[in-house]
Amino acid sequence: MEFLANIWQWFAGLFTVTPGWMIFGGWMAAGLTLCIYSFLYKDNPFFKVAEHLYLGAGMGWVFQVTFFQTWKPRVWDALMDGQFVVLIPTVLGLSLMTQFFPRISWISRYGFTFIMGYGAGLVIPLEITTNFLRQIGGTIAPFAGGAGFWAMVNGAIIAFGFICVLFYFFFSVEQKGVVKKASNIGIYFLMLYFGAAFGNTVMGRFSLLYGRFDDLYKYSGSGYFYATHVVLGLLVAYFVLDKLVLSKKNGGQEPAH
Amino acid sequence: MTLIKKQIPLLICFVVGFLTLSSYYVPHPVSEKYMEGINKWENIVFGFAFLLGLLSLFFSHYNKIRRRVPGWGYSIFVYIGFLMMVVPAFVSWGQQLDGASLTSLGWAYRFVFNALSGTMFSVLAFYIVSTAYRAFRIKSPQAAVLFIAALIMIIGKVPLGQMMWDGALGWTNVLVADIVEWLMSVPVVAGRRGIMMGLAVGAIVTALKIIFGIERQYMGKD
Repeated sequence: MEFLANIWQWFAGLFTVTPGWMIFGGWMAAGLTLCIYSFLYKDNPFFKVAEHLYLGAGMGWVFQVTFFQTWKPRVWDALMDGQFVVLIPTVLGLSLMTQFFPRISWISRYGFTFIMGYGAGLVIPLEITTNFLRQIGGTIAPFAGGAGFWAMVNGAIIAFGFICVLFYFFFSVEQKGVVKKASNIGIYFLMLYFGAAFGNTVMGRFSLLYGRFDDLYKYSGSGYFYATHVVLGLLVAYFVLDKLVLSKKNGGQEPAH
Repeated sequence: MTLIKKQIPLLICFVVGFLTLSSYYVPHPVSEKYMEGINKWENIVFGFAFLLGLLSLFFSHYNKIRRRVPGWGYSIFVYIGFLMMVVPAFVSWGQQLDGASLTSLGWAYRFVFNALSGTMFSVLAFYIVSTAYRAFRIKSPQAAVLFIAALIMIIGKVPLGQMMWDGALGWTNVLVADIVEWLMSVPVVAGRRGIMMGLAVGAIVTALKIIFGIERQYMGKD
């Protein structure tokens, strides 16, 4: 037992984060970042490696979160405390694994119906409260008194636009006459929403891009032994060599993918 | 057999759905306790649902490696990526920080997972620009409105856009940030409310169909 404990201590010691590990981390982050950006030039093995690593790392992250925040405290610790009732959701959860055995895969329905029933039961009050009553309440609120002139004007624009958008989604009557006109105005409000949503998404992506460039700049310093420059140079060298070899093989023509 | 294969699962769905729904509207200690308990149960079952997906992914990549399909070598990196997160997680027992210093899990998160996920999503910035070019070719008044709203949102959120606005329309004494704020709090709200209400109606109807067993495609075939 002591031997195993010593082995574990030695193993855990390998994972102690030292300054050397931090420098290696800079190389790792710069390398992975540039491997993914290399896709902007063309599809290549470095991108594919990074893509698959991302898939695995993402699953690994969620796995450890599930393990340390759900299975350990809510199943293992609860069982150790004698709360055997947690065996019910555990068995329901384990029933999902029968999906891998076609002959008994119907058992997984017990777990799935539990998830679906819970989700369906929860979504109704949440939708009624947040997306239904609160939206109607928010539309009426400016006219309930106490609001200033401009707040009333803005409230009127919101109410008018809201009703027009609802007309656009209202298919119980034929869309002609006044209904058609209201529906057309509704489209403009929808376009404003989509445009703003698109603009926000673009800015969100660009702020991520700035973050990555900021990291690349950081790892290009002497403290990280010019990781960004070296990795970028290696990638460029690969693409140049690839191009040269390719042009020799195919007479300059890239194969069709 | 139909009872065990079909009717009992549907009964579970109905009972759990009905109790969860009614507990929300019944302010009683019993319903509160039920909600507390069922949330924990859901967490546990959902954890196993994730495990199902994880194992399915592993089997899929294992089969690619076993059959030596084109590009099978990349599948190995799925397992490497997984271990790069899980091994440090178990060594540092799920903690990212040990006092002020990073644990091996914190290291893996910062230099591997964060770098990969941030870059993967930021790559979309380039594709969004090319998509925008195609999407924003103004062919109708509606497309013009979409374009103008997006443009105002973009230039209103960067200092360069503010400077451009000031140079071109500074004489109006209207700040682009004010326009963005008005846009977001008035016309955009109108559009969003209509969509949210439509989504709410759809979600409620679908949820009711699931609770009452009308919608049962998720159960698969017999």
